Amino acid sequence: MREILYVDMSTLSIERKPLPEKWHRYGGRALTDAIVYDMVPPTADPLGQENVLVFAPGLLGGTTAPNGGRLSIGAKSPLTGGLKESNAGGQAAHGLGKLKIAAIVVTGKPADPDARYMLTIEADGSAKLSRVDEWAGASNYALADAIKAMRPADDRYSTITNGPAGEAGLKAAGIAVSDMKGYPNRFAGRGGLGAVMGSKGLKAIVVSDKGLPYLEHADTEAFDAAMKRFSTALTTHPVSGTGLPTYGTNVLMNILNEAGGLPTRNFSTGQFEDVEGVSGEKQREVTLERGGNVKHGCHTGCVIQCSRYWVDKDGAYVTKGPEYETAWAFGTDCGISDMDVVAELDRICGEYGLDTIEMGNTLAVYMDSGAIPFGDGAAAIKALKSVFEGGAPGRIIGDGAEAVGIKFGVEHIPVVKHQAMPAYEPRAVQGIGVTYATSTQGADHTAGYTITANILGVGGTVDPLKTEGQSDLSKNLQIATAMLDALGLCIFVAFPVLDIPDAFVAIFDMAAAHTGDVWDTDELLRLGRETLTFERLFNEGAGFTAADDRLPVWMKTLPLPPHNTVFEVTDADLDAVFDFVPETAKAMGLR
Amino acid sequence: MKVDIALFAYLADHQPDGLGGRHARTFDLPEGTTIADMIATLGLPDQPRVVFVNNRHAAEDSVLHDGDRLAIFPPVAGG
Repeated sequence: MREILYVDMSTLSIERKPLPEKWHRYGGRALTDAIVYDMVPPTADPLGQENVLVFAPGLLGGTTAPNGGRLSIGAKSPLTGGLKESNAGGQAAHGLGKLKIAAIVVTGKPADPDARYMLTIEADGSAKLSRVDEWAGASNYALADAIKAMRPADDRYSTITNGPAGEAGLKAAGIAVSDMKGYPNRFAGRGGLGAVMGSKGLKAIVVSDKGLPYLEHADTEAFDAAMKRFSTALTTHPVSGTGLPTYGTNVLMNILNEAGGLPTRNFSTGQFEDVEGVSGEKQREVTLERGGNVKHGCHTGCVIQCSRYWVDKDGAYVTKGPEYETAWAFGTDCGISDMDVVAELDRICGEYGLDTIEMGNTLAVYMDSGAIPFGDGAAAIKALKSVFEGGAPGRIIGDGAEAVGIKFGVEHIPVVKHQAMPAYEPRAVQGIGVTYATSTQGADHTAGYTITANILGVGGTVDPLKTEGQSDLSKNLQIATAMLDALGLCIFVAFPVLDIPDAFVAIFDMAAAHTGDVWDTDELLRLGRETLTFERLFNEGAGFTAADDRLPVWMKTLPLPPHNTVFEVTDADLDAVFDFVPETAKAMGLR
Repeated sequence: MKVDIALFAYLADHQPDGLGGRHARTFDLPEGTTIADMIATLGLPDQPRVVFVNNRHAAEDSVLHDGDRLAIFPPVAGG
């Protein structure tokens, strides 16, 4: 029933084919991985003819599964050199799901490097490529306006757009997805996939789902019953039912600061003395004072509602959130405590199409070089704008923390597999260090979010300052996360799922009732392991070894205040995380 | 003994001065006071909590000491 839309940018042709039987249990990250694994040689040039760019809703995309509208975007990453899946909210995944499109697979490159194209998928399933050369260099927000002007007033559509950073091939370029109001503010930020989209001359995708109903199920009654149980778990658990909708993701700022695990001024200490200015509580107070929105979903069907809009002093929309990672990256990690500065930096990234985690780290590394002072918001804004507006340091900022650190001679560059670390200090939260080190994605908190048990007391407790149990914790969460990403579920459902056993049962009950296939605990975990196995095998083929599954050496030798600890998980424990891959690969027939 | 207590998110409303805010207030407490005693005194809601003493997780039956900093969060998360 589901189909793949193949879009060949070399011949400018589009074909719609049935989803191959071998992938019929896959969606989201499992499917983007499987397709990239199948089609792309691991040694391919990420910006070359051979790379493919895949957009896939999860297996539950297009259904009423609560929080089931996440979008996976996959390709070989220009930043990490490995198989990348970058995950975004926004409206596009449900649109594709309702259109019964399991994936859009973009191949090849146009002969004319100056050509720009828009892919339009109409609600009747027809698809076409149009030439939009006049949009060259346009920002995501300008693209959203230009597309709006072209669409019928009564249309219902979503956009997937690529800003100038992607067109320029910058390694930190992300891809924007429109939210419920049409703002292009939900990002598949990580790993430079915007550069892949840019290399293919693809400036925008428009997905219309006007008048399309949610998908039907193999067993509607069973689906609705499971869906209600799942929704109840999400809305009654204190984290997803109260904490997240009230304060948003940035409620984490104070708690990581208290734990001494909040990376500050380029990972030089674990606490920020001016944390209050960029804290989630303060953010909520100021947003409410200014008349901003503090509670909405990033996509239709979200029952957690952790999104919010930051508005300026006059009440005008500036950007979403800012989310915790962004507030940390541009705030704490740069020594900046002014949320208006953070929001401006976030908006600039939104316009250009740059990953805020990578850019915050990049500015912090640049500050660490002594070029501009920590805490200087005006200098940070000028440095970020120099990517396209000239001046120092210029375009290299858009290639990320490692590129800037090398160019400016910075000793401490917080990256793994060339990707900058998010907002948790491995020396004070040992479990997240295991995830950063071993993840196929490069340093990525979402890949195996050990903050749950390490800091938040969700799903048990594992002492963040000790090494015991961290490897297993990270491994199990990496498998579970890959599974959620394959289903298209928001990873925040993990908080109730880790504490409420029936929420996990409800997930496979929904999958079974929707597809008519057998889904149970074993099958869900197998889905997670298979997803990770594609990534590991691809990365091996691209040349990755155990040496790539390590943190920067200075994190193992330089103690971090206030706990004055270093990262101490052994190499053997790190190497044990993916011990299931050989057996899984064999069972999949890949080895 | 003197103990600094900071309450976060919606728990901040439970500070005895009624001023809210995340800054710590200094309490003068009898020796042997436990975290659980303070949770009861402050009237914090009956729900899971994340509790730190001097930047480390602490069990609620722990006894507080002079000079400690106690920080209490409601169940929250993000990412």
